[in-house]
Amino acid sequence: MNPAATKANLLSRIDGLDRIPTMPAVLAPLLRYVQAPVEPLDGQRVTDMIVQDKSLAAQCLQMANSPLFGRHRIDSLRGALAGLGVHGVSDIAMSCGVLNLMPKDSGGKGIDPVIFWQHSLGCALVCRHFARKISYPDPSKAYLAGLLHDLGIIVNLRVVPKEFCEAYEFARARGIPLHEAEQAVLGFTHCESGRLLADKWELSNDLKEVVSLHHSLQQSNHAGLVALVELSDLLCRMGGLNYGYLENRQVNLFEQTGFAVLSQQCQSLKDLDWARLTFEMDSYLDPVHALVRTIYRT
Amino acid sequence: MTTAALHAVTALEGPPGPDLVRIRDLVYQVAGIFQPDNKLHLLLDRCGRRMKELKTASLREYFECLTVKPQRQAELVALLNEITIGETCFFRNRPQLDALRQVVIPKVLEAKSKVPLRRLRIWSAGCSTGEEPHTLSMMLLEEAHGRLKGWSIEILATDLNERSLAHARNAIYGAYSTRHLTPHFRHKYFIPAGEKLQVQPVVRGSITFSRLNLSDDGRMTFMKGIDIIFCCNVLIYFDLLSKRRVIQHFYNNLLPHGYLFMGHAESLHGVSEAFRLVHLPGATAYIKVNAARRESRRI
Repeated sequence: MNPAATKANLLSRIDGLDRIPTMPAVLAPLLRYVQAPVEPLDGQRVTDMIVQDKSLAAQCLQMANSPLFGRHRIDSLRGALAGLGVHGVSDIAMSCGVLNLMPKDSGGKGIDPVIFWQHSLGCALVCRHFARKISYPDPSKAYLAGLLHDLGIIVNLRVVPKEFCEAYEFARARGIPLHEAEQAVLGFTHCESGRLLADKWELSNDLKEVVSLHHSLQQSNHAGLVALVELSDLLCRMGGLNYGYLENRQVNLFEQTGFAVLSQQCQSLKDLDWARLTFEMDSYLDPVHALVRTIYRT
Repeated sequence: MTTAALHAVTALEGPPGPDLVRIRDLVYQVAGIFQPDNKLHLLLDRCGRRMKELKTASLREYFECLTVKPQRQAELVALLNEITIGETCFFRNRPQLDALRQVVIPKVLEAKSKVPLRRLRIWSAGCSTGEEPHTLSMMLLEEAHGRLKGWSIEILATDLNERSLAHARNAIYGAYSTRHLTPHFRHKYFIPAGEKLQVQPVVRGSITFSRLNLSDDGRMTFMKGIDIIFCCNVLIYFDLLSKRRVIQHFYNNLLPHGYLFMGHAESLHGVSEAFRLVHLPGATAYIKVNAARRESRRI
């Protein structure tokens, strides 16, 4: 396959096709609302949006009872609101809504898309945890950014599954980052295809940059948020919240562009205990896998 | 206190209590070994064993045993022993070993490619009964006809305890130590010794066991030209000052491209700024800060 020749062809297929996912009906107003600079968010309004979709509401309750979101016993959205707060509930609703867009299989091409579900949810949790640790001003936005950063993978899985699976196998066999394999095989990465979906969904500019620039942060105007995602994504990929394989390389987070950018915004980053943050991520592994199995396989 | 009553105190249901979190943070602060939330039930179990021994009724009271009571140092050591008990076995930390083989060894060989002496020196500092150095030797033998062809391997294995070293030299191990061995390694590198297994001479040939106190500044100075140090769950027993001294020695012992591996959940945060944490596939290690800067300039 000639990557240069296929790039234009595949991207045009993505851009023109109706297989590119449309945002679920409930998600669109919710996403608009949580992205709007409204403080404080109105909890009742958020739950009113969620209950419009019974299946989504049921998934939200399953997720709200996961240890990932505290150890509350929750049996209603009202209870979730009381136990987790409005940001907690909207984070959960967005997670269920976005992750439901992941195809259930890759058309027999050998990839279990659950791994991308796990990575995206894991990255969202790590982003939020990391944001809190360094006193980043908006941990909920950090969560949303982690959740959405790989939107392009959903697009690739749906629109160019055969070619994407080839790229994935190329990456896994060599232990290289997925975006490098996509570039080599497809001629473009999930950042580019994700940008098309982010535009279509009319995401806010900072989230569009997260989706399209988390592997090339130098070009970003919202570098703090993108840097946070870049570093969290790396931590996930080098640990147990990866794409189903470990990258065969050494990563020095202190030398990442994201570290330099984020250090300027968050003074406490210089004193961050990276080892502890890495160990703490271990506690997400089992609950993320269990939750994804429960929700995704039902 | 009855077993049932103790179970009631130490059963982890619902969110972890503040006393358990305080004990977790104390252990991390003093010993540098961290128990993430999903492992807190293990810490709780270990505390339970100590509480039974001390006849302590609550975690709060036990926290006081660790912080206020005169015997607090000894109790902390007793708890650390409970935390690390059973960790000594072959292939204890598989991701760390895979990272060594797939990422670290190639990087070290590349760094040494211009040096005429093709020798790799690995130090297992605090090797206890020898499972770690034997594991390393087996791993490297697997590469003997591949990327390590033509290289001589030296594994220095040191410990303070003579009895542990005698066990290590004897190289006979029971079922518990060998529980993680795959059939491949079991058949290729062990021979039966009664109901136990003995490590084959080919594995033992590259290892030199010797007694060494890591706090012995004089002898530590002579450990030179090391490529990779493994020091797992040893420094957790040292106070901060002693830990800093040992780490400074490690820094001097390691060649510029050298690597320091610690235990699975062990950290050097707050101990040394001379080393920098790096992430490897499924594991972490430390490299010298100067080496980290050199690498970034190359990029």
